[in-house]
Amino acid sequence: MTTEQWARLSSDAFNLALFAYIAAMIASFAYLAFRRERLHTVATAIGVIGLVANGVSIVTRGIAAGRTPWGNMYEYSTMITFLVVLGYLWFIEARAKVRTVGGFVYAMAVLWMAMAVSFFYVGPTALMPALNSYWRQIHVTAMITASSLLGIGCLLTIVYLIKAASERRELERLRTGTTPPPIMGGAGVETSDQDAPPDYAGGADEPVGSATTSRKIGLPPSATLDALAYKFIRFGFPVWTFGVICGAIWAQQTWGRYWGWDPKETWSFITWVIFAGYLHARATAGWKGTRAAIVALVGFVSLLITYYAVNLWIAGLHSYAK
Amino acid sequence: MSGPVASTPSSLRKSVALVWRTLRSMRTAIVLLLMLAAGAVVGSLIPQIPNSPQRVAAYQVDHPLWAKLWQAAGFFDVFGSWWFALITTLLFVSLVACLIPRSRAMIRAARAKPIHARELDAFPAFAERRVALEPEAAAAKAATMLRRKHYRVELDAASGSVAAEKGALREIGSLAFHWAFLLLLIAVIVGKGTGYVGHATIVEGYGWTDAQFNYDGDVRTGRFFGGDFSGTQIQLQNFQDDFRTSGIPMDFSSQMSLTAPDGTTEQADVRINHPVVFNGIRIYQFGFGWAPIVQVRRGDQTLFDGPVVLGQTTPPGGNPLAQPWTGFVKLTTLRPQIAIAVRLYPDAVAYFQSLATGVPQPMTEANAPFMEYEVWQGKLLDNSLTTLDTRFMHQTSQGLIGKGWTVDATRGCVISGTSGAIPASLGNVTCPTNGGPATLTMGFPDLRQYTTLQISHDATVPWVLAAAILIVLGLLPALYISRRKVWVRARPDGTGSSLQVGGFALQRKDRFDEEFASLVEAVTTAAGGATTRESQPESRPESQEVSP
Repeated sequence: MTTEQWARLSSDAFNLALFAYIAAMIASFAYLAFRRERLHTVATAIGVIGLVANGVSIVTRGIAAGRTPWGNMYEYSTMITFLVVLGYLWFIEARAKVRTVGGFVYAMAVLWMAMAVSFFYVGPTALMPALNSYWRQIHVTAMITASSLLGIGCLLTIVYLIKAASERRELERLRTGTTPPPIMGGAGVETSDQDAPPDYAGGADEPVGSATTSRKIGLPPSATLDALAYKFIRFGFPVWTFGVICGAIWAQQTWGRYWGWDPKETWSFITWVIFAGYLHARATAGWKGTRAAIVALVGFVSLLITYYAVNLWIAGLHSYAK
Repeated sequence: MSGPVASTPSSLRKSVALVWRTLRSMRTAIVLLLMLAAGAVVGSLIPQIPNSPQRVAAYQVDHPLWAKLWQAAGFFDVFGSWWFALITTLLFVSLVACLIPRSRAMIRAARAKPIHARELDAFPAFAERRVALEPEAAAAKAATMLRRKHYRVELDAASGSVAAEKGALREIGSLAFHWAFLLLLIAVIVGKGTGYVGHATIVEGYGWTDAQFNYDGDVRTGRFFGGDFSGTQIQLQNFQDDFRTSGIPMDFSSQMSLTAPDGTTEQADVRINHPVVFNGIRIYQFGFGWAPIVQVRRGDQTLFDGPVVLGQTTPPGGNPLAQPWTGFVKLTTLRPQIAIAVRLYPDAVAYFQSLATGVPQPMTEANAPFMEYEVWQGKLLDNSLTTLDTRFMHQTSQGLIGKGWTVDATRGCVISGTSGAIPASLGNVTCPTNGGPATLTMGFPDLRQYTTLQISHDATVPWVLAAAILIVLGLLPALYISRRKVWVRARPDGTGSSLQVGGFALQRKDRFDEEFASLVEAVTTAAGGATTRESQPESRPESQEVSP
């Protein structure tokens, strides 16, 4: 096959992946709302198809460009999407058996891919010599991996905040005896003695059978979400640290200084500091739970700025996006 | 002394203690860290003088009021401002205040022996087994087994009691991480503070010495820099650039000989991504360009003889390789003063081809190079080699000059030299023989390339790297190792003993249940194996984590 054919195949696979993720997102949210087991099967199947197409897109682009396919923002975004969906399917769905947050993950994947194709698309080309160093491979791989891990962690944190709020409302409902409108569509009746605070005992006003059905479907308990989110961020943080250090080594080699407060460097430092703050907050009494979650969300916003805003609006040495 | 006066020292001591306590708390450290991040946000949103002085100047013109405010707050140089330094210093103090007691506690804990426990069934994880061995032997075997599993073990054989703990590396890693972060900050500040960085332009066949005034424009020096430049001499022998046929650059390299003030010499090849370290300075390939050798004479008097470093202004989106290179020769000693503006086309063949086809061709190699020149007379307003202010000047002539030619610059005609690559219609007019001797002649004997090197001195780079490595190495155990404590107690029970095992994990509690169960099995086996009348292991996890 010629370079053009590989490039077209990569592009087609990208589009297939994007539409598969959109379909998987719709199916996942439908599963969350209507609780039909078949919807979950469909969502997972389409998600896997999307993942495979995503992988094919990355590999064929690498072949078309004749190098490792992470040289510009378009390629980073495709790679991150792949890792995020892979991380979700593997760790969250297959191993932790949490299946109700898929819609949020696919939504993020769709957003990421849409950003990639609308703002950052460039054809597969060779790199300028300054970007050509094996430290590039290490740095970029680490940054993509870390972003994916932190991204999943923050997504789980968002779901955690929704669930925690819903649990608080549930608790309020049980205390006052009134029924507030449900959150997240059909998830209003989810109650289980396992999720409820220790001072709660199931009463006669509880809808019959809700304890058994809602434990299977509906969002997982907030403690599970919180713990999962922490695991992903705890994994992502050292990788981010390592990636920033590799970037500094590469900068030392290429630009003659390991750190120059270039906007991308500055924002990667800001993101690092915020996630460091998150890890400390979790270890500090009175900061666990919602407060730490908010720190993680601020970190996620900073991560997005590091990734996108810096390239789109702030000029600097990392201006290879355009 | 009266009461109120006597109370002053104690209240002072109290407030000092309060400040110290505040600094020691983790919350202060986090707040300071977040303030550092907030400062960095400002630094990334407002143009910074060290990074882009032109943008700062433009901002000052566009938003004079805000600019005044930012100027006063030091927002145009956040990372060099007093308040950024203050936050960093406070963070230092806070870190040190936090780390010293923690380090001492860690050392104390490392020396102390694990403490025996009384009520083992009160621990979150607990199990009881009947084993064949007698209490003393059972406890000893259990201790050996725990040691083999890398627990620190304290055995009290007489009472059949074992205390064990594991995971001290978590705190060691955490402390290593924090101390390394401190070391990193210090190394960065010292390195940047005592170092300098600047750019040097050297033409092939010429030399350059590392001294303040030889740099292009300003050298950025650290605030503690004493002014002692290295004095290294660089002699550029050759500059090599490789392009693909499409004009995409592949590699740039400068071959040079380096000489230190003490006489040591070294042959070096500086390439993109392959800097050279010599005599305490790092030399990087930064830029390149063309430098024609130009000779200007009036009669027998040589007015100028040397390289003219040319630059480029590329329109947005244009291929810089297809653009001509421009520069000036300024003859300031003449009255009226004269400036010769030149525009170099390194590859005449490619240039005329692009004129004919309308498709810009990259001019990467010197191929029948020629220059367009304009002669201006009048009063020069500055000595800049990149711009010409013509407000007090008028143009007297213009013409073409190929490599190896000599031209009459006053009349704009060619005295000697031809080139097949340049169409005659383009103004390479031969001077008429009856015009008398030329008043101002210009020669273009050679075309060379120049290299721009970035030269920096930063003494603490190895320290920064070491600290960075230590940060990653410390981070992993700090995040992944969990501290676990386990106790074993053997009591006489018939012919054998009743073995109680209790314990807990401070982190990663979900994983501990599994580990504890296998530990109970191992201890039981070590103590002679389970006998009848066994009670089921009973575990009460207070799990906050789930395994993915």
